[in-house]
Amino acid sequence: MAERVLTIEGLRVSFDTYAGEVQAVRGVTLHVDEGEVLAIVGESGCGKSVTAQTIMKLNPMPPARIVDGSINLAGHDIVKASDKEMQKIRGNEVAMIFQDPMTCMNPTTQVGKQIVESLKLHKHLSGAEAKAEAIRCLEQVRIPNPEERAKQYPHEFSGGMRQRAMIAMALSCNPKLLIADEPTTALDVTIQAQIMELLAELKDKINTAIILITHDLGVVAGIADRVAVMYAGKVVETGTTDEIFYEHKHPYTEALLHSLPSTDQGKREPLMSIPGTPPDLLAPPKGCGFAARCRHCMQICKEEQPPEFELSAGHKASCWLLHPDCPSAEERGAK
Amino acid sequence: MTNEVLVQAQDLCKYFKIGGGRMLHAVEGVNLEIHRGETLGLVGESGCGKSTLGRTLMGIYKPTKGKLLYDGKEVDLSKKKERFAFAKKAQIIFQDPYASLDPRMTVGSIIAEGMEIHGMYDEKRRRERVAELLDIVGLNREHANRFPHEFSGGQRQRIGIARALAIEPEFIVCDEPISALDVSIQAQVINLLHELQEKMGLTYLFIAHDLNIVKYISDRIAVMYLGSVVELAASDELYANTLHPYSKALLSAVPIPDPHKEAQKQRQIIDGDVPSPINKPKGCAFSSRCPLACDKCREAAPQLREAAPGHYVACHLV
Repeated sequence: MAERVLTIEGLRVSFDTYAGEVQAVRGVTLHVDEGEVLAIVGESGCGKSVTAQTIMKLNPMPPARIVDGSINLAGHDIVKASDKEMQKIRGNEVAMIFQDPMTCMNPTTQVGKQIVESLKLHKHLSGAEAKAEAIRCLEQVRIPNPEERAKQYPHEFSGGMRQRAMIAMALSCNPKLLIADEPTTALDVTIQAQIMELLAELKDKINTAIILITHDLGVVAGIADRVAVMYAGKVVETGTTDEIFYEHKHPYTEALLHSLPSTDQGKREPLMSIPGTPPDLLAPPKGCGFAARCRHCMQICKEEQPPEFELSAGHKASCWLLHPDCPSAEERGAK
Repeated sequence: MTNEVLVQAQDLCKYFKIGGGRMLHAVEGVNLEIHRGETLGLVGESGCGKSTLGRTLMGIYKPTKGKLLYDGKEVDLSKKKERFAFAKKAQIIFQDPYASLDPRMTVGSIIAEGMEIHGMYDEKRRRERVAELLDIVGLNREHANRFPHEFSGGQRQRIGIARALAIEPEFIVCDEPISALDVSIQAQVINLLHELQEKMGLTYLFIAHDLNIVKYISDRIAVMYLGSVVELAASDELYANTLHPYSKALLSAVPIPDPHKEAQKQRQIIDGDVPSPINKPKGCAFSSRCPLACDKCREAAPQLREAAPGHYVACHLV
């Protein structure tokens, strides 16, 4: 049985703004095991990045505020951890790769030095040891001529190379959890394929748990073991990758998958689009967040939030349609 | 779709001066025909010159070399009058719906501006047209008095489409119109573009890097690499019978949103990055990354030729 690395329960995160309280995350429950890739998918503004940042406490507080819930990362209580404790946890237990590798590196410091920095701090290595280790890290992510490259500055690296260096940096201290926030969105498809291949290979090699945040369902299909679909600050459905792609039960998951053209889809057959836009999280809807755009919407959806229904071990969805008393499609006068 | 050629590029080149007497060869000797009423997809990685080609084809950039023909006649962009007349026929939808709308103009005046410039209709009729256009793209008539910041990304893209349609063009360059949008909103915009094409008989040049979307929307697809078209074919043909090694790598790199298919797929990973368009490799531009490259490829650049009916490819080895 693989060790549980991360457990999040009932997490609620809000941002206090002049306009009011933005409820970015409204009750998220998740877990990740060792050596597993959990993909969090959803549209922009659904709270997937805020959830990830909260695990590392990267969002400035205030304005961000953890309203409720608990985060347990490898035995550490993140919600209660002080700034000092967080400094030890970041890099050592959990590391993050960002979307844009250029803005996440120090442009005035050599790439090798940036890796050495964290190795000295967390692993207490001497200068020479850290340097050798940094070069080994760069080699591991298949950067050619690592000795030479370590002495270069980030601007001398190409986009894909920078993302590799970011991964090397993130993995340098062997974190238990790696959070990849849209790691390939800024890259071209051929480079994206290189990076995804690298991540898959590293996952097998070092047994790190990975949380992959993305909106690209193709990337998810290729690498994820489990998927959590988020909408309007909540996880609406979670299950194994196969369950989500082939046996999804939530109307949002279904709509999301069908709004992509499949490879064998007939031409000029309109795509199934989701009408409208996601709700404003300044004033989240009373009932189900998706009710206003859902084609199966019932009266109860607008009034009460759906509970989570367990469909099989690990496959859960929050939708009133799954309630045992829910009338069938015919009875509802299916649209 | 007819076989009547609407837009034609003959040996089209676009170079940019970048200081120090050096030139950036963004588009290099492109020969392309776009048929009336079709959607031609243009794919390639960033920096391959697809946007530059799109902009050159609709007259935003003046070609450095080569000819641009519209409806069989050459368009001379150095003549102001001709440029003006051409602008009436060719329009563009930009990628970033945030940067492409003037934040200080109301939506109504953004859409009406083109009609004013081209002296179309009187003031009253223009206002009616704005309302009609807003209806067509799925916005409310009342939105004409609002400002762009009040709209979401998808809605702004609809405003951009309404603006492009306002002067009743025949040819629209869609420069990555959906890549800044969320998946569920992308489908809305794609469906809208489809509908408009059917209703108004528009011709699209659809630039994108999302190959699944391009395949879905295009009749024919052109693949670009480092300023040149390397393969051009009907979209089904291109996917079923890919000839150029770069197209093969590009298509195999696209993740499929289906775990079973994804697991079965043989992925061909090409190493390295796209070379700089300032110092292009001699010979075939792809030779530095091509797994099949031989001496001939490094010496002479291959020309685009017809390998099968309607299927063009630029490679020595095909």
